[in-house]
Amino acid sequence: MIAAWYGITSFMLIGYVALDGRNFGAGMLLWLVGRTRAERRQVVAAIGPLWSWHEVWLIAFGGTLFVAFPRLLSSAFAAYYLALFLILWCLVLRGMSLEVGGHIPDPLWSSFWDFVFVLSNGLLAILFGAAAGNVARGVPLDAHGQFSMAFFTDFRVTGQVGLLDWYTVSVAVFAMVLLAAHGATYLVLKTDGPVHERSRALAKLLWAAAAPLFLAITIESWSVRPDVPGRAIGNPLCWLGMLVVVGSILALVSGLAAGRERRAFAASNALLIGILATGAAAIFPVMLHSTLAPEDSLTAYDVASSPTALRLASIWWPVALALATSYSAFISRRYAGKVGVERDDQGVY
Amino acid sequence: MATMSDPAFWSRIQFAFTVTYHYLFPQLTMGLAWFLVYWKWRALRTGDPEYARAVRFWARIFGLNFAVGVVTGIPMEFQFGTNWAGFSRHAGGVIGQTLAMEGMFAFFLESAFVGALIYGEKRLGSRAHFVAAVGVAVGSWLSAYFILVTNAFMQHPAGYRVEADGSLGIAALGDYLLNPWAWIQFAHNQMAAVVTGAFVVAAIGAFYALRGSHGVQARLYLRAGTLVGLIASLLVAFPTGDQQAKMVARHQPVTLAAMEGRFASGPMAGIAVIGQPNLVEKRLDNPIEIPGALSFLAYGTFEGEVHGLDEYPEDVWPDNIELLYYAFHLMITLGTIFIVLMAVACFQSWRGRLESTPWLLWLLLLALPFPYIANTLGWMTAELGRQPWLIYGLFRTRDGYSQVVSNGNVVFTLIGFTGLYFVLGVLFLFLVGREIGLGPEEETA
Repeated sequence: MIAAWYGITSFMLIGYVALDGRNFGAGMLLWLVGRTRAERRQVVAAIGPLWSWHEVWLIAFGGTLFVAFPRLLSSAFAAYYLALFLILWCLVLRGMSLEVGGHIPDPLWSSFWDFVFVLSNGLLAILFGAAAGNVARGVPLDAHGQFSMAFFTDFRVTGQVGLLDWYTVSVAVFAMVLLAAHGATYLVLKTDGPVHERSRALAKLLWAAAAPLFLAITIESWSVRPDVPGRAIGNPLCWLGMLVVVGSILALVSGLAAGRERRAFAASNALLIGILATGAAAIFPVMLHSTLAPEDSLTAYDVASSPTALRLASIWWPVALALATSYSAFISRRYAGKVGVERDDQGVY
Repeated sequence: MATMSDPAFWSRIQFAFTVTYHYLFPQLTMGLAWFLVYWKWRALRTGDPEYARAVRFWARIFGLNFAVGVVTGIPMEFQFGTNWAGFSRHAGGVIGQTLAMEGMFAFFLESAFVGALIYGEKRLGSRAHFVAAVGVAVGSWLSAYFILVTNAFMQHPAGYRVEADGSLGIAALGDYLLNPWAWIQFAHNQMAAVVTGAFVVAAIGAFYALRGSHGVQARLYLRAGTLVGLIASLLVAFPTGDQQAKMVARHQPVTLAAMEGRFASGPMAGIAVIGQPNLVEKRLDNPIEIPGALSFLAYGTFEGEVHGLDEYPEDVWPDNIELLYYAFHLMITLGTIFIVLMAVACFQSWRGRLESTPWLLWLLLLALPFPYIANTLGWMTAELGRQPWLIYGLFRTRDGYSQVVSNGNVVFTLIGFTGLYFVLGVLFLFLVGREIGLGPEEETA
């Protein structure tokens, strides 16, 4: 039961990264793919009205963590106090720039919000990347399951680590490139005209840049957590994840080369999911690794809710997910197809 | 009383500030959502373009409110972990259920439909646009229910058990979700949100009527706003407010004593119309009371024995009795004024003379901020009245904060929120003012 809820929680987080990651990526590239005001509005329209539905995956992930692993939430959220508030403020700015950026047809107004949009999306990708690096590397947990940490200490990955060190910074850079590539691949699928052409060139460039970074991160992760690969080899889910990664890389390359946009974007999603799922399966059952003493690490079994709580949540959770998916399908069906630069629709989407 | 060096103090201020600010927006959208559903339905049935025009105008106002509501809502959920780790550790096994349900059942529903409701009329077609309006309305009310179940657990715990490690775990999901406190508080709170929605609709109608612009639309807003405003104002007071007070009398008698500034017990307890609690002398200064009214309202008989603060040790008294007393009394006063104002406006509207009664239109326009104040005062009463407990009778507020977070960090983020929310507020007022200036006739981007 606890393993299943570890899976569900990971699923929510991975779903969030794949869904909102495209919006971060498209947002970061706003200035590069859209040169005129109309083209930039086209990018926002391509992101579409479901962006807030994507963002809810983060909230729902938080809720799932709360219901299944409340002690993890209370340890980690308090320790990452300032970093989390940075993420919050970026989410506030990102949401506002999407909602009000197109509100007034004035070049100064939209330029300002475009700037806020690019900045907040870029920062969010970096911050979430650093967060992923922290989970992989571990945190200075003490025997009471508590920790607190500075933004950075000596940039080493052992002992009293900080939020940023050479490893987490490199994961953050990788996350930014990866999500930018993901967003570009989405824009290739969703737009036409000059934005489409620029996105295509950028997608190829960014994926080419992501490949060596991916290799580097894999090697780095190995050296930071030498204990993980040994355990991962015995876990069939890791093998499945790696299979997905390899398959999606092939599909992505062939999709981009052949101009099969749908295949390329599906592969881009599968690649993100594959990488994160492999990681999640590899570190299980440890949810927070202690860099001070491995025996103080918090496992899913240490921080899980009572069996009753998990059993009750298992009843309503699948119903809720099915409903949520149906709402999204209802809307996205009506927003299918490419978004052109000239649109007669009212409003920003 | 908490002081500035108390580690829980700044986290309390931060939560109070961010949640009060946040709730300025959902209270309007929850009320307004049903106006949109109704007008959209009328537009579908009658084909009258005035209804569709009203939906388009109010959907833009709704969208701006919704946007600020969403972005200011996300920090609320985070703060359970960041600032209230002790509380999350102690009660996460229970309240995690409803916080997760809110995301899974309510937020997914609202967020899928809201963008399409505001911008997608042409893309969706009329029927799907109506579905979107219903989806957003139902989603926002569901969200309120899950949050109120969570709050009801903090006010009057139900459906839990104490686990081996001393923390609280869920025992019976049905008892937790159907907590009677949650039902009554939900009814009271949602009616109060409809009051806000109705007052805003009526105020904008009055604004256009006074300016002599958008005549047909102004009449539509005034008629709907005053009628719904009267019904909702009555329902807020009776039965929902009355039941809420009886619930407090039954389960939190010390809170009732503090709300009413009653230091001594006894039957024939009165309600003070005027008076200030004096904590030093432990009495109500210069009280003007309606004799027996409190006994009657709380217990249905004048002989009802109302417990005074003197019956309870001071460490279970709410920690800010003066603020609690003023918040509660001002809320009651405003609620009474709302009923009178809306009754007069409805009478004039029924006679067809509302638009030709400028003083009444002015009153309706100037009344706009007061439902917001009354809603805020109601929540202050509920939350200050719960003190010193975080979970009533089980877990104290001073045990709930995050021990690893220093005061300085909380002050820093509080200042950050203050600055960011100030900018958001200016932006919001500018954009809403612009929409109101453009009016329902204009089509804007």
